[in-house]
Amino acid sequence: MLPHILLVEDNALVIDALTMLLEETGHRVSAATTLAQAQRVMSEESPDVVLLDLTLGGEDGLSLMPSVNATRGTRPIVVALTGHDDPETHARCIAAGCRTVLVKPIAAMKLKGQLAEWLGERAAF
Amino acid sequence: MSRAYIDDVSAERLALLQEQNLELSRLVAELRNEAALRTQFLSNISHDLRTPLTAIITHGEILRDGILGELTLRQKDSVGGIIGGGRQLLDMIGEILTYARGAAHQLTLTRTEFSIASAVEQVCTLNESLVAKKKLDLTVNIEEGLPPLYADRDKIAHILGNLLGNAIDFTLPGGRVWITCSRGAPTERGHVLLIEVGDTGIGIAPEHHDLVFREFAQVDASASRQHHGTGLGLAIARKFVELHDGRLWVESSRGKGSRFFFTIPVRSAP
Repeated sequence: MLPHILLVEDNALVIDALTMLLEETGHRVSAATTLAQAQRVMSEESPDVVLLDLTLGGEDGLSLMPSVNATRGTRPIVVALTGHDDPETHARCIAAGCRTVLVKPIAAMKLKGQLAEWLGERAAF
Repeated sequence: MSRAYIDDVSAERLALLQEQNLELSRLVAELRNEAALRTQFLSNISHDLRTPLTAIITHGEILRDGILGELTLRQKDSVGGIIGGGRQLLDMIGEILTYARGAAHQLTLTRTEFSIASAVEQVCTLNESLVAKKKLDLTVNIEEGLPPLYADRDKIAHILGNLLGNAIDFTLPGGRVWITCSRGAPTERGHVLLIEVGDTGIGIAPEHHDLVFREFAQVDASASRQHHGTGLGLAIARKFVELHDGRLWVESSRGKGSRFFFTIPVRSAP
């Protein structure tokens, strides 16, 4: 079964680009444009990795973290995606439980490599 | 002049001064508010511009990296141009945002201990391909036994990156570019590191030395067409140096190359 990535992002252009990249590199992708949609996918499909944009319209992406942290069973790896490359944002994401922070645009091959690493660690659990 | 008259005049003047003070406080608050609004606006614009650029660059990389099938070399070059242009635009948006934060006094330092040599190496590696492309001779000379810096590593790398980027841009192919780090003359506040980024490029006439540190200023319009910056690079570098209580200056004359120097006080980690 292909690893399942939940992409939480509100911009259609970015969703298209990242979905193409992720699908073509051997992943199954669900996209959510709001926190409510993301929570639904999380409870119904238990994704392996969540790529979480921090600014979703008027919503703060990190508001998803309490539901992630309350997951029963294996918790998905959450990676924050942001356009703001500053230490405060980084610290806020790590404190909320994100594995790391990636600044957009993420280099395609780098994302592919990092996903393989995270999914490998998860499989080893 | 009667005492009562003097008291009346004093009270009147006091009331006037109090009124003027209030008006000044109101104006200061208004200006602060305007600066905060401007920073917020630039921050929002920066986010909005980055989002479609993210899509452009990601699609470009999918093609370039052969994820949808191998491209010919010419096709790879062409897509590489799209990615390069996109990334350059992103850097410029980043510079504008940094400048806006600096103007609104929203920049802070995140200090860690590191060696200046590691920051220089990082910046040289990032610029390797540009140096090779222009066939420049880049040399680094770091005095032995320099103490570590307790400073904001990203900002020091940013200063070095802006200065080295300018040196590369404004030096003709085959020229020389160098970075030298040494102990500077101690100031009343203690020891400093002195860092020089020099080149054998087009140089800057002495009457333009102040101008190059001003925002959006480029001395020569024809040079600015070849130079890819926002005109903010040196203004930001100076801001970052000053945040560290250091000093940034230039020694140069037209046609004789440029030598940019900055100092960073040596502090010990707490």
